[in-house]
Amino acid sequence: MAFISSGFNPDKPLENRITDIGPRDFNEFYPPVIARNKGKWLYHEIIEPGVLVHVSETGEEVYTVRVGAARLMSGTLIREICDIADKHCDGHLRFTTRNNIEFMVDSKDKVAPLKADLASRKFPGGSFKFPIGGTGCGVTNIVHTQGWLHCHTPASDASGTVKATMDVLFKDFQDMRLPAQLRVSMACCLNMCGAVHCSDIAILGYHRKPPKMDHEYLDKLCEIPLAIAACPTAAIKPKKITLDSGAIVNSIDVNQDRCMYCGNCYTMCPSLPLADTEGDGIVLMAGGKVSNRISAPKFSKVVVAFIENDMPRWPKMTQTISRMVEAYASGARKYERFGDWAERIGWERFFEKCEIEFTHHLIDDFRDHAYHTWRQTTQFKF
Amino acid sequence: MATNVDFQGKTFVVDEDGFLEDFNTYTAEWVDYCKKEEGIETLSDEHWQVINVLQDYYKKNGIAPMVRVLSKLTGFKLKHIYELFPSGPGKGACKMAGLPKPTGCV
Repeated sequence: MAFISSGFNPDKPLENRITDIGPRDFNEFYPPVIARNKGKWLYHEIIEPGVLVHVSETGEEVYTVRVGAARLMSGTLIREICDIADKHCDGHLRFTTRNNIEFMVDSKDKVAPLKADLASRKFPGGSFKFPIGGTGCGVTNIVHTQGWLHCHTPASDASGTVKATMDVLFKDFQDMRLPAQLRVSMACCLNMCGAVHCSDIAILGYHRKPPKMDHEYLDKLCEIPLAIAACPTAAIKPKKITLDSGAIVNSIDVNQDRCMYCGNCYTMCPSLPLADTEGDGIVLMAGGKVSNRISAPKFSKVVVAFIENDMPRWPKMTQTISRMVEAYASGARKYERFGDWAERIGWERFFEKCEIEFTHHLIDDFRDHAYHTWRQTTQFKF
Repeated sequence: MATNVDFQGKTFVVDEDGFLEDFNTYTAEWVDYCKKEEGIETLSDEHWQVINVLQDYYKKNGIAPMVRVLSKLTGFKLKHIYELFPSGPGKGACKMAGLPKPTGCV
């Protein structure tokens, strides 16, 4: 394609440059009913899965229809979302913090046509473009990351694992049968971009082999002290290496017995790649939450040490997740989040109920804090 | 992807972002070559002061200085460093000084 200039002049890059203008003000994009009633809402109700109504002290109502989205989407799909907003919502819409889409209308009779329109749209492959749901005590969208699509440090894929998991949990997206809402998150490496460390169920990409060292280029491409300081277990030290050519170069040495394959050193140094087809896979964590409701926020805990990457559907991972969800749905009391339930019945019961094998990998061994995760009591169920 | 750049009789091996692949291949011509794509018309003493500080720090410590350290050593505030190097201290100044490409979650 021929080059089409936007008007930017590469010979004078600073000429006519606009900077530091920040994002657009959200007030510019409010539906009129939201703008009129801002700060005056009295109460809300979940009418049915995916449909909310908020009632204002002025008597006005706003109906919200929440639909799932793949997060990663094309310009074409965004245009289709805009068409729906133009047709039903005077051109207004919003995205939620879990990347669902919300269409808002100001009267009840506009809800049914909007819902019918959304539910009728499918991709040629058969999947729903805009499945309605994600409210109340169900499973809403999965917060996830880049995976093999764009990132250079992943141990698993994000979009693929998320599609496989949401397909398995789809009925819970469109239902509100669980004791409390269940948040599922995915991160493709231990950088944990997103919410895996604080989600009811978390999917995490994990390596099982130490990095390979490219001694020839390491000192050229890397700031060696940064790679050394990047290691949480101090497995890396500087070392002089003699190359095959006879040249002596500065490089590093990885103590394989201390390495736990976090990949931090590769983040800092391109000459330490560690991704591996058979070695890499998935860790499952459970029991985290961010809200302050009843119990304080919790970190999620590792419950499955490793599940192999089994593309494109990750069947073992999705089966384990659905076992966990079913055990929680039948065992927990109303309002109990996943972590509240596991802590009430005891983690030894959790592993029994979810039919998950407890392995030594799950026992914390990182620094002083590990001691506090062991059991300093005789209170234990057989 | 390493590519060769020929400039004023010298050859530089650079990566896809235009960073020198080896600090030891740095010569003064490299700065002249980078100038245009970094949006710098003429190099002042202040430019050279930043480049020299970066190189001295890298030779001595094996890492690029933190921004606060660079400010303190040169006496230039971050705003002034951006006025000198519009792409900033990492993409602009470190590249012209021949230092390795910044890494991490940038």
